Amino acid sequence: MSSNSGNITNGGVAPPQEKRDLLALLKLIKKYNLKQTEELLCREANITNKELEEVNDIEINTLLTSALGEGQDHQNGLAVGGTGGSGNDPEIYEAAYADLRNFVEESLDIYKHELSMVLYPIVVQIYFKLINGGFSEPARKFVEKYGPDLDHYYRDDLQNLLMITKRSDLENNDFVSAMEQDKFVIRMSRDSHSLFKRHIQDRKQEVIADIVAKYLHFDTYEGTARSKAQCDVSSGSLIGEAKRGDNKIRVYYGLLKEVDYQTLTTPAPALVEEEDDNDPDAPDKPKKKKPKKDPLFSKKSKSDPNAPASDRIPLPEMKDADKMEKVKALRESSKRVPLNKDSLPSVCFYTILNSHNTVTCAEISEDSTMMAVGFTDSSIKVWSLTPAKLREMKSAELLKDIDKDAEDINTRMMDDRTGESSRTFYGHSGPVYRCAFAPEKNLLLSCSEDTTIRLWSFHTWTCIVVYKGHLFPVWDVRFSPHGYYFASCSYDKTARLWTTDSNQPLRIFCGHLSDVDCVQFHPNSNYIASGSSDRTVRLWDVLNGQLVRQMCGHKGPIYSLAFSTCGRYLASGSSDHTVLVWDLSHGQLVASLLRHTGSIHTMSFSRDGNILAVGGLDCVLTLWDFSKLTEEYLSQSGGSSHNPDLNDSETYLLRSYPTKSTPFLALHFTRRNLLLAVGMFKSS
Amino acid sequence: MSINTGRVAGDMLYGTTLSAESMKVIAESIGVGSLPDDAAKELAEDVSFKIKRIVQDAAKFMHHSKRERLLLSDIDQALKVRNIEPQYGFTANDFVPFRFASGGGRELHFIEEKEMDLNDIVQSGAPKVPLDITLRSHWLVVDGIQPTIPENPPPLSKDSQALESVNPVVKLEQGVTKDAAGKPATGKIHKLRNVETVHVKQLATHELSVEQQLYYKEITEACVGSDEPRRGEALQSLASDPGLHEMLPRMCTFIAEGVKVNVVQNNLALLIYLMRMVRALLDNPSLYLEKYLHELIPSVTTCIVSKQLCMRPELDNHWALRDFASRLMAMICKNFNTSTNNLQTRVTRIFSKALQNDKTHLSSLYGAIAGLTEMGAEVVKVFIIPRLKFISERIEPLLLGNQMQSNTDKTAAGHIRAMLQKCCPPVLKQIRRSPDYTEEYRNDYGFMGPALCQAVIKARNAPPSTTTPTPSSISNAPITSAAATASTVGRPQVTQINSSVVTAIPQLRAIQHPSQPPQKFVIVSQASTQQAQQQQQQVQHIQQHTQQQQVAAIHQRPATPQSVLLTTQLNGSGGSGGSVTNSLLNISDRASVDSNSIIIETEEIRAPPELDDLSHLE
Repeated sequence: MSSNSGNITNGGVAPPQEKRDLLALLKLIKKYNLKQTEELLCREANITNKELEEVNDIEINTLLTSALGEGQDHQNGLAVGGTGGSGNDPEIYEAAYADLRNFVEESLDIYKHELSMVLYPIVVQIYFKLINGGFSEPARKFVEKYGPDLDHYYRDDLQNLLMITKRSDLENNDFVSAMEQDKFVIRMSRDSHSLFKRHIQDRKQEVIADIVAKYLHFDTYEGTARSKAQCDVSSGSLIGEAKRGDNKIRVYYGLLKEVDYQTLTTPAPALVEEEDDNDPDAPDKPKKKKPKKDPLFSKKSKSDPNAPASDRIPLPEMKDADKMEKVKALRESSKRVPLNKDSLPSVCFYTILNSHNTVTCAEISEDSTMMAVGFTDSSIKVWSLTPAKLREMKSAELLKDIDKDAEDINTRMMDDRTGESSRTFYGHSGPVYRCAFAPEKNLLLSCSEDTTIRLWSFHTWTCIVVYKGHLFPVWDVRFSPHGYYFASCSYDKTARLWTTDSNQPLRIFCGHLSDVDCVQFHPNSNYIASGSSDRTVRLWDVLNGQLVRQMCGHKGPIYSLAFSTCGRYLASGSSDHTVLVWDLSHGQLVASLLRHTGSIHTMSFSRDGNILAVGGLDCVLTLWDFSKLTEEYLSQSGGSSHNPDLNDSETYLLRSYPTKSTPFLALHFTRRNLLLAVGMFKSS
Repeated sequence: MSINTGRVAGDMLYGTTLSAESMKVIAESIGVGSLPDDAAKELAEDVSFKIKRIVQDAAKFMHHSKRERLLLSDIDQALKVRNIEPQYGFTANDFVPFRFASGGGRELHFIEEKEMDLNDIVQSGAPKVPLDITLRSHWLVVDGIQPTIPENPPPLSKDSQALESVNPVVKLEQGVTKDAAGKPATGKIHKLRNVETVHVKQLATHELSVEQQLYYKEITEACVGSDEPRRGEALQSLASDPGLHEMLPRMCTFIAEGVKVNVVQNNLALLIYLMRMVRALLDNPSLYLEKYLHELIPSVTTCIVSKQLCMRPELDNHWALRDFASRLMAMICKNFNTSTNNLQTRVTRIFSKALQNDKTHLSSLYGAIAGLTEMGAEVVKVFIIPRLKFISERIEPLLLGNQMQSNTDKTAAGHIRAMLQKCCPPVLKQIRRSPDYTEEYRNDYGFMGPALCQAVIKARNAPPSTTTPTPSSISNAPITSAAATASTVGRPQVTQINSSVVTAIPQLRAIQHPSQPPQKFVIVSQASTQQAQQQQQQVQHIQQHTQQQQVAAIHQRPATPQSVLLTTQLNGSGGSGGSVTNSLLNISDRASVDSNSIIIETEEIRAPPELDDLSHLE
């Protein structure tokens, strides 16, 4: 408002006006309590307080509107919003931008790439200002003229930008609010930054300086400026780059200390004495986590310095059935085939036929016995992948007759006559976007376009709970590897943490600027990763809901996430066809794996963590040598962490396997390291 | 400059908006007569913006459904998310018009429903139930190697095979990265390559794995062996397996060498088997044969025009082989002819040269005519019709019963005449004007004239569809039957069937011996030539209509206590319908045999007596 009054004052003083106008002006000044200006004006124009009182508010308003209206006529519709006092003229902006661009072009090659990163946010902000000022035509021309110079990955954003043609469009728009609310982060070497600052000061480009001050944040570091490739890998998200400050908080990426399995495996009777828990179907008592990797067994005696305390977040107690399952899993994993570049896995491919584009997701249970498939017609179909049939629980009368102490109570309570090889859940009222098996194998979660998450029981084959909380379609739901907790994410830009026994979320993770498209639990259950259409991957602490890592580099929405088995790395697959691998210890990019030609919707690490399998909509499965990748990363890290130098991703690619027009929906390594893949046949 | 940048920008993206005119049209359609320009412009911008946002949202739904194609349901969901009523009614295939009625101050929109006759619905039977969603599993990869099974895509797509054959440089460049592309390679090679930095030109691409060698052995043995069901499987495998391209050069060499050897040895059966292999390879959708045409075409041509293809030309039905090979050739020309290789032109030239030469052996002459016939009507018109008189002169003395002539030549002449009578009338019908005089025909075409004249008249009177030749359709029936014969003579001669064949079918079927598996054999009975000749002349007009009706099966050979199945060609295109012995008709060919031939049982049969190499086929 000060700028407003300043504007009017200028207008009032320069040309001698009618007295009434002056009076109205004075009244306005008085209203805003600008004492000195008022006195000055009174003296200059010889107006007394008495005269002033005769002026009413209506006159002020008419004066104001006429003044502004004149301005509009005069400058072709300028200054309606009146945000910046000076320079709403499109030509001023364009000249300023052209000057800036010149400066960037002519700067030394080493600084050029870093400096060029400021261009995009400035283009966007100038566009907003022009639109706000009502110059939609010059604004469009401006972007069309300078847009093509910007990096190709900004293309989509520019397209979005040009959709906005009126001031009213600016409201309630993800993209606009993302650019307005948060400062666009640009990482720069100190040298580049000072060069830039000097330029801004020298040229006295106020419009640019204004934008820079308001909407740009420079994250400077000591050292040499980055190359084009280095700039490119980390930029591209809606908010620019991640600030280093964002990723300072310590992340306990290590795995939880495992229970001693030797005691579980050797004396089987030892289990019986603990058998005091006779409540087998309490859904909220999931089991302990599975033994996932070999290195863990070898060093389970030492405690990992990066691991969180095992009681950092309360985890559910392990039940006997869970322990039995664990023993089974352990026994299975002893038969595991070690995978590496010389011994590649076998892949069993499940093709869903006759589906006619109705399949939305597929999921295989941890023990590889069941598969759940979600459909657009809101049904969920569960198949048994083993000869074992899917059975229902016996009726209450029959259950009464069962000996509760029997060892095989779990099989006894199921009704053999109901065995079927596939069953269907009905309940949702919109496409089912994701399913998740509970680690204890008795529950299934599903999320849908109808904004609900449902919990289904494999005992009764019914829906047990409906979790309502999200207000918009829920894109993804994942169970914690320890059970009990689960995470979901939605169109409403939030990710949420739930427990199976409460219909309210425990945490709501806000911060993403667009849809949250996927979530994933860290193997130690202490963290949740989320990937979003704002092209960032974020890591949230379950304990306090804090954002602990923010990783930028994708150029498209992120549709799949996978934690490495060691817990330190996170792979994210995006619609930009790349898979990026992040080191969670510093939030740093480790590698960019580019081979696919379609969106990546599923990834899986082998059980020993040596191989990363990636499946895309381009009907290709790729296998990557993850152990080599991490080895090379660890051997060369320790150097400068702000400008990662990426190796050629081709060196990590082991093989790629095409399918017959069947895009990949899910990948899953069995405990013995057989890779299971699911795809829906695309009928042409 | 502004124009320039505008174009660049246009390439890049943007800024398509609905025009103000379309707004006005839409406004008019809902009864708003004169929409002011400003309002239309404002509306157009607003609507464009909103539509774009909706489509953008719809794309999110598309992505989460893991599709790459936007569907109507995505738009509906995007509308729903923005609290807009979805657009109903777009899922129906047909336009469903709303009717409007009003009365008593109330308005009603409704869909008009047709009256339907329940009887129709009941009688039409239930529509087919859509297939249920099913799960099917297969091995995509076994120990890092993708097996070449029909469920998996061919290891080398047809396009890249084509590229390779056109531009060999591509292959050399690929060599380095190739093993990453899931090509079957042994682990050893893989390991070595990781270590070595020098890229030696790879020999491995021509190396067959042990499995492939076994497969090759099995397949080739089965294809030329004695076990007919096994051959069927082998040919089926050749026709459908996706991973054959690695051993394709060997297969082609096998065929080419086989033809060379067996032509010299006059081993008709083996030649037929080899041609069936060619056929199977041509049928395989994942193979790109262009690279091997230089081996295949000479082989096929040999089987069409070779002077002698069998031990006893007067008895064996090598004509069927020539017909079958001709059809193969036509198929090859159709599939692979390009403006650069001029395949069809070159092949046609070979055949037409044989026609020009008056020294050409009669069998070769027949082959050349057959080959040209299969190329289509235009080729017949340009190359055969002008030579008709010449051919007539050659066959005339042979057919007109000069006792000095050998049987072989006489048979050949008979076949040539039959072939010409089949292929020429449809063309003649079009190039000659209507009143057909026998004399003119005799003048123009010599000895063949009168018969052709009859045929043309007949063709003019008949409904057009029956007279059009269908050379492109290729069926195994004749060749199998012919392959079976190898020891028979000439064309089918069905005794005493003088009514039309069509009416004869039911009876023929009815008398088929129940204990005799129909595919067990095929016949061939050829009339003793002389008598047949005479009779043929008597009933020439019938013959032209359907060749099967040639009269007179007087079996020369001693009858065996088996029954004979006589196959005759219904559509007459095969021209063989020949006598056939058993067991060569494989299972996969059954369908085509049934559709193309009638199986007739007669009371007599001949075993294929003097067939050394075919004796195992019993």
